[in-house]
Amino acid sequence: MQQAFRVIPFLVHLYVKSRMEYRSAFLLAIGAQFFSYACGFTSLWVMLLRFDTLGGWSWPQLALLFSFQLLTYSLGAATSFVQLRDIEEKVRLGTFDTLLVKPFSPWAYLVFSGLNIGYAGHIALAAGLMAWALTQVGVDWNFGTVAYLVAATISAAMVNAAIITMIGATAFIVVQSSHLYTIFFGVWELSRYPLNIFPAVLQWTLLTIVPLGFASYVPMAYLIGKDIAVLGSWGGPLSLLAGPVLVLLAMAHWRFAISKYQGAGG
Amino acid sequence: MSKYLAFAQSALQTQLAYRGQVWAAWFGRLIQVFAWIAIWMAVYKDAGSVNGVTLPEMITYAVIGSTLITAWDWRKLIYTLGNSVTSGDVAIYLLKPLRFPLYLFATECGNLTYRIAAIAVPVIIVATLTYGVLPPASLFHGLMFLAFFALSFVLMFLMAALCGLLAFWLMTAFSLEWTLQGILSLLSGSAIPLWFFPDAAQGLIKLLPSAWIGYHPIAVYLGKTTVSETWFYFTLGLGWAGLMAGGVALLWRAAATRITVQGG
Amino acid sequence: MTTVIAARGVTKRFRQPKRFPGLVGSLRSLVTRQYTEMTAVNDVSFDIATAEAVGYLGPNGAGKSTMIKMMTGILVPSTGTVQVLGRTPHLQRQDNARDIGVVFGQRSQLWWDLPVQDSFELHRRIYDIADARYAENLKHLSALLDLGPFLDRAVRQLSLGQRMRAEIVMALLHDPKILFLDEPTIGLDVVAKDAVRRFLAEVNRERGVTIILTTHDLQDIEQICPRLIMVDHARLIFDGELRKLRATLGSSRRLTLEFASDPGVLELTTARLVADEGPIKHFALEREEVSLIDVLSEVGNGRGLKDIKLDEPNIEEVIRSFYQGRNALAQPA
Repeated sequence: MQQAFRVIPFLVHLYVKSRMEYRSAFLLAIGAQFFSYACGFTSLWVMLLRFDTLGGWSWPQLALLFSFQLLTYSLGAATSFVQLRDIEEKVRLGTFDTLLVKPFSPWAYLVFSGLNIGYAGHIALAAGLMAWALTQVGVDWNFGTVAYLVAATISAAMVNAAIITMIGATAFIVVQSSHLYTIFFGVWELSRYPLNIFPAVLQWTLLTIVPLGFASYVPMAYLIGKDIAVLGSWGGPLSLLAGPVLVLLAMAHWRFAISKYQGAGG
Repeated sequence: MSKYLAFAQSALQTQLAYRGQVWAAWFGRLIQVFAWIAIWMAVYKDAGSVNGVTLPEMITYAVIGSTLITAWDWRKLIYTLGNSVTSGDVAIYLLKPLRFPLYLFATECGNLTYRIAAIAVPVIIVATLTYGVLPPASLFHGLMFLAFFALSFVLMFLMAALCGLLAFWLMTAFSLEWTLQGILSLLSGSAIPLWFFPDAAQGLIKLLPSAWIGYHPIAVYLGKTTVSETWFYFTLGLGWAGLMAGGVALLWRAAATRITVQGG
Repeated sequence: MTTVIAARGVTKRFRQPKRFPGLVGSLRSLVTRQYTEMTAVNDVSFDIATAEAVGYLGPNGAGKSTMIKMMTGILVPSTGTVQVLGRTPHLQRQDNARDIGVVFGQRSQLWWDLPVQDSFELHRRIYDIADARYAENLKHLSALLDLGPFLDRAVRQLSLGQRMRAEIVMALLHDPKILFLDEPTIGLDVVAKDAVRRFLAEVNRERGVTIILTTHDLQDIEQICPRLIMVDHARLIFDGELRKLRATLGSSRRLTLEFASDPGVLELTTARLVADEGPIKHFALEREEVSLIDVLSEVGNGRGLKDIKLDEPNIEEVIRSFYQGRNALAQPA
C-alpha cells in the first residue's frame, strides 16, 4: 500500500510530463474533441427546437442526460480506455511482459502510466452543460439529492471503467478483441437517450449485457423524478450499486484473463 | 487498370480476415439503425407529418443514413494517409509506376464494396423486414440517388484525404479526425435531416459540401427535390468535388515536394 | 554452491488458431475456429548455481524466450517445475520480481519521451531501493558503462547502444541476484557490444550476479558465459562448458602458410590441405595433439616459407559442427 503511494503519483507525473513533450498535438486533441462533442450536443438541440420533447424529456432534461453521460464516461475512461485498448498491441508485440517482471501490479502500472488527462475537454464541456441543466430541471436540492448526485456520478464512472476494463482484458484471452469496443460504442450512443423510447430488447441490453443504462438514464431519471423503464423504483438504489458490483466483476475478470495469458502463452 | 482492381480485391480479402470486426461492425450498425428509428418514432409520437415529412419517410431516412451513407470507414484513410506521409513511407509509392492517390481510391472502393455487401445490405434487410423501408420516389429519383451516392463517396474520400494530408503539416491525424467527425455529425444530414434545421440556417447549410454526404442523396431518394433542383444540386456537388480534388492535388504535390527535398 | 534455478521436466505447449488460405478460406474462418498445438519447450531440466553465467542458445523458435518467460514468472509451465531462489515464479510473481533483473533486447522498459534519469527514478520507487544504495549503484554502474553524458537525455534521442546500456544499468540498480537478458546485443554496433559484454562479465565476477543470457551472437557466449545450454526444436541438446564442447568436437584449427613463391604440390601427414592458392596454402589441423611445431618440422626448410597464421576454431564453426553432428556426440552433461 505504501509502495502504491510512492509509485502511483510518480507514474501519473511521468505520463503528464511525456504528454507535454507534444504539447500542441495534445492541446489540439482536447480542442478537437471538445468541438466534436459540442457538435453532437448542438444536433440534439436543433432536433428539440423542432420537436420540443423526446420520449417525454424536454431539452434541459435531455441536456442533463447527455452531459451526465459524457461526464461519467470521461471520468471512467480516463482510467481505462486507451490503456486497456492498447493491451491488444502490447500482447502482440510482447511488451506486456515487461509489466509482469516488475514487483508491482500490472493493472495499476498500466492504468496510471497512462491516466488520460486528454479527457479534460470532455469533462469541461460536460460539467459546464450539466451545471446549466441542473438549474433548469427543477430538482429539490437538499443534502439527500446532492449526495445522491455525487454518489451516482462516482458509480456511473465505475460502470464505464469496469466495462471498458473487461473488454480490454479480453485481449489476454483472444488477442484480436478490439472489435468489442465497436459494440461498446454502439451501445454507448444508445445510452445517451432516454431508455423508454427503445424497444424492450435494447432496454434489456442497456441494463444487462452492456449495462451503460446505469451510467446515464437510470440515475438521471431517478434524480429528476421520472418513471424508470423496466426497473421502476428499484432504479435509484440499483444505480448506486451498479458501479461497485461491476468493479468487482471486472477485477475477477482481469485476474482470470491474466492467468489465461500466462497459461496459454503470449 | 487491372492493377487497381487487384488492390481493390486485396482490400476486400484483408477485411474478411478480421471476422470479429465483421460481426461487430454489423452489430454496431444494426443498433444504430434501430436507435434512430426509435428516436424518430418517439418524436413523431403524436404528429402525422412534420415539415411535410412523414414517419415512414423518416424511418427510410434513418435506414439509408445509418447504412449506405455511413458505410465507408473514412477514419482509416485519414490515419493511413496521415501516417504514411508523416513517416515517409509514402516515398515508396512515389517511386512506383502508380499514382498514389488513385491507388488509395481503388483500395477504398474495395473497402466500400465490402462494407456495403457485408454490413450495409444485411442491416437494410433486417430493418426493412422489421420496420419497412420506402422505395425511391420515382425512377428518376432512384437513378439520381445512385449518382448522388457515388458523388457522396467521392466527396467523403476527398474530405478524408484533405484531412490526411493536413495531418502532415499539423503533425496530428487525431485532431483532424475528430474535427471532421464533429462537422459531419452536425452538418452532413446523415442523422438529422437538414430540413429540420431553423429556416434561417437551412439555406446556407444545404450549400456546404458536407450536405452532399448525407442530406442530398437521401432527399433525392425520398423525392423531396424537383427534377430541376436535383440537377442543380448534382452539378453543384460536382463543382465541390472538383474544387476539393484540386485541393488534394495541391496538398499532395506540396507534401511530395517536401518529402523529396527534406528526405521525409 | 547453492542452486538458484532448478528446472525439472519443464514442458510448454501453445494453441494457435489455424489460418485457411485464399478467399474461400477467409470466408470459412468467418464461421469456424480450429487450432493447432505446438510445443515450445519439451522436457527441459537443468540446475544453475549462484554466480554462474549461462548462455542459452538455439535457433529461432527453439524455445529460448519461452524458457526465460517461465523463469521470470511471465508464463506457467504446462508440465514440470521451475524453482527460482526457492520460489515458484508465477505463484510468487512479485517476490520473485524483486530478486531478479530482466533486460529484453527488443522490448524497452525505458520511457521513450523522458530522460533516462526519470525511468531510473521510477525504478527506484517500484523496487523500493534505499536512497544510499541507489545513489551508490547509480554512480558505480553508470560510470562502468559511461552513461554520464546522456542520463538527462530523452530515450528517443539515444542510439540503440546507449539505450541498451541504460536498460542494463537499470536492471541492476536494485541489486538483483539473477539477471536475465533476452538477446541484449541484437542490433548493436561492435563497440557497444564489446562494452556490454565486458560489463556483464565484470558484474558476474565482482558482484556475484547470476547471469542467464539468450543470444544468437556466439561472441556473447564466448566473452561472458563459461557454461552453455543449447536447445533445438524445444529440446535441450547440450548443457556443459564451452571449452568442453570445443574439446569434444576437436574442431580443426586453420593454418595458413605463405611462401615466397609457389612451392608446388604440398602433401603433409600432420595437416590436411584445404585450399591451394599457389604461394598461399590453407591447411586444417584436425588432431588436438598435433602442434604447430610438428607441422613446421614436416614442411622443413628450403621451401621459402615466409609467413604463418594459425586460427583457433571459430565458435560459430564449433556450434555449427555440433548441430550437424549431434547424434554422434556425448549425452548432455
